[in-house]
Amino acid sequence: MTMAKVATDRIDQTAALDVAAARADFPILKETVYGRPLVYLDSAASAQKPRAVLDAVQEAYEKRYSNVHRGAHRLSQLATDAFEEARETVARFINARSADEIIFTRNATEAINLVAASYGRTFLAAGDEIVLTEMEHHANIVPWQLLRDQIGVVLRIVPIDDDGVLRLDSLAALFGPRTRLVAVTHCSNVLGTVNPVQEIVRLAHDHGVPVVVDGSQGIVHAGADMQAMDADFYAFTGHKLYGPSGIGVLYGKQDLLERMPPYQGGGEMIDHVSFAKTTFKTPPHRFEAGTPPIVQAIGLAAAVRYVSALGMDAIRAHEQALLAEATAALEQVGGVRIFGRAPGKAAIISFLVGSLHPYDVAAVLDRDGVAVRVGQHCAEPLMARLGVDGTARASFALYNDGTDVEALVKAIHKAKRLLG
Amino acid sequence: MTDLSRYEEFAEALEMIDDEEMRFEYIIDLGRQYERDDPFPQEWKIETNLMHGCMSKVWIVDDVDDDGRHHFRGHSDAIIVNGLVGMMTEAFSGLTGAELQTITVDHVRRLNLGALTTQRQVGMMAMLKHLQKLGRGNGAMAGAENHDDHS
Repeated sequence: MTMAKVATDRIDQTAALDVAAARADFPILKETVYGRPLVYLDSAASAQKPRAVLDAVQEAYEKRYSNVHRGAHRLSQLATDAFEEARETVARFINARSADEIIFTRNATEAINLVAASYGRTFLAAGDEIVLTEMEHHANIVPWQLLRDQIGVVLRIVPIDDDGVLRLDSLAALFGPRTRLVAVTHCSNVLGTVNPVQEIVRLAHDHGVPVVVDGSQGIVHAGADMQAMDADFYAFTGHKLYGPSGIGVLYGKQDLLERMPPYQGGGEMIDHVSFAKTTFKTPPHRFEAGTPPIVQAIGLAAAVRYVSALGMDAIRAHEQALLAEATAALEQVGGVRIFGRAPGKAAIISFLVGSLHPYDVAAVLDRDGVAVRVGQHCAEPLMARLGVDGTARASFALYNDGTDVEALVKAIHKAKRLLG
Repeated sequence: MTDLSRYEEFAEALEMIDDEEMRFEYIIDLGRQYERDDPFPQEWKIETNLMHGCMSKVWIVDDVDDDGRHHFRGHSDAIIVNGLVGMMTEAFSGLTGAELQTITVDHVRRLNLGALTTQRQVGMMAMLKHLQKLGRGNGAMAGAENHDDHS
């Protein structure tokens, strides 16, 4: 909390990001790997945590930890206040109309599963259609497939073009009398493509169809304003946004949440229980069965305050500059093939080096302390569309700089030398 | 008597290289060498030979001779994994099903020697379990179930 204050004092929100100062906020970046400085380019899988988050978590456990919403004692009240303040902080961050529209989950996956299970099973029926895209993460595919297997909905898939841009014309053409839901990612975790979600929402709403947005990457790289976007549901996870693992968020429009039945049952989410009948709390607590991720929520709020203090626009500008630099540098390396060329894409670069297996490339990079992800990135249908078994992926965050790009390129040259 | 002479040769070769980076390059060279000198037949790269759960594709075939000894051949489309698969399959070929079950995590550790990250160590343990499963899958090795808990 105090660190967030320091960050606010230190950095003018309209100013460019002071990357050196930001790097110093992340203790793990001082670590070495095999005796070499850590070059962390796997933030799209999970981002590192600033001191402000670590301190908030530590402080919560040390000074005001208790269960929430139930104790008659002082500590419980402090913990409850901090937990509910975290909800308000998140609500402000995404410009929700009310903190009641913020449901804390374990992660984005659980948030989407909640929509599929609660909204899907209540408002959808056999033969109804859900529109997905070719670039979805498994987290925004499998919950809908489970729903399909349970109640017989039909999944319709919007294709992408060769640059990794969503085919909006195809999306528009898919709307029919049975279309009931659109589930689309804000930003592809493989291609970096930032989808025009506002436009997609408008199009869907013109057909009376609600939209679920997977914001796992989008919230980090593009930011999200719920009132401007007008999405009906927006899911994201804390750990990619520099917060702790084990905390996710489902934003849902209040009128929808109020009409939805509970996702899981248990303590915390009920009003009255008897063996004959149980009544449930109003949202968001209706959807938070059991002891919630209390400290994780407090940590997420610290992360939100941290990035807000740095300025989302400043972070985005920095990442865009880094993306341009990295893309240009990789193009100089002979044989590097980049997947995803959408205009305005986020700082996520999936690539292959000649005919080298991405696993081999990543293993050589790892020996140089360069951490990248390799494989199918939980997006097997997209890999099939791209015609590859997998890729290596370098993803950039607010704490990366030009030296990281240099280290990446140097290690790729080494991989070519060793493996070629 | 379990003949682990080939395994010992690999372990000693790795122990003689005292630099982690060099051991890493040794595995790469091994992978390249298998590919060059003894290429894995294309027709063996089929679903039934595929070992699931790997970041790269790994195929392993098992040929059991008249004495009930298993002769493995393995391949990966990633060079580093190909080196590891080649080393593992060569090191533990020529054993009976029962002998295979006596191979433990300690044997595998001697083939690591810090040149490999945890993920690859886990991968090598998965390979051992796969070889042991193939070893159990054959009727030639009675009593193997008694030796099932070594990993």
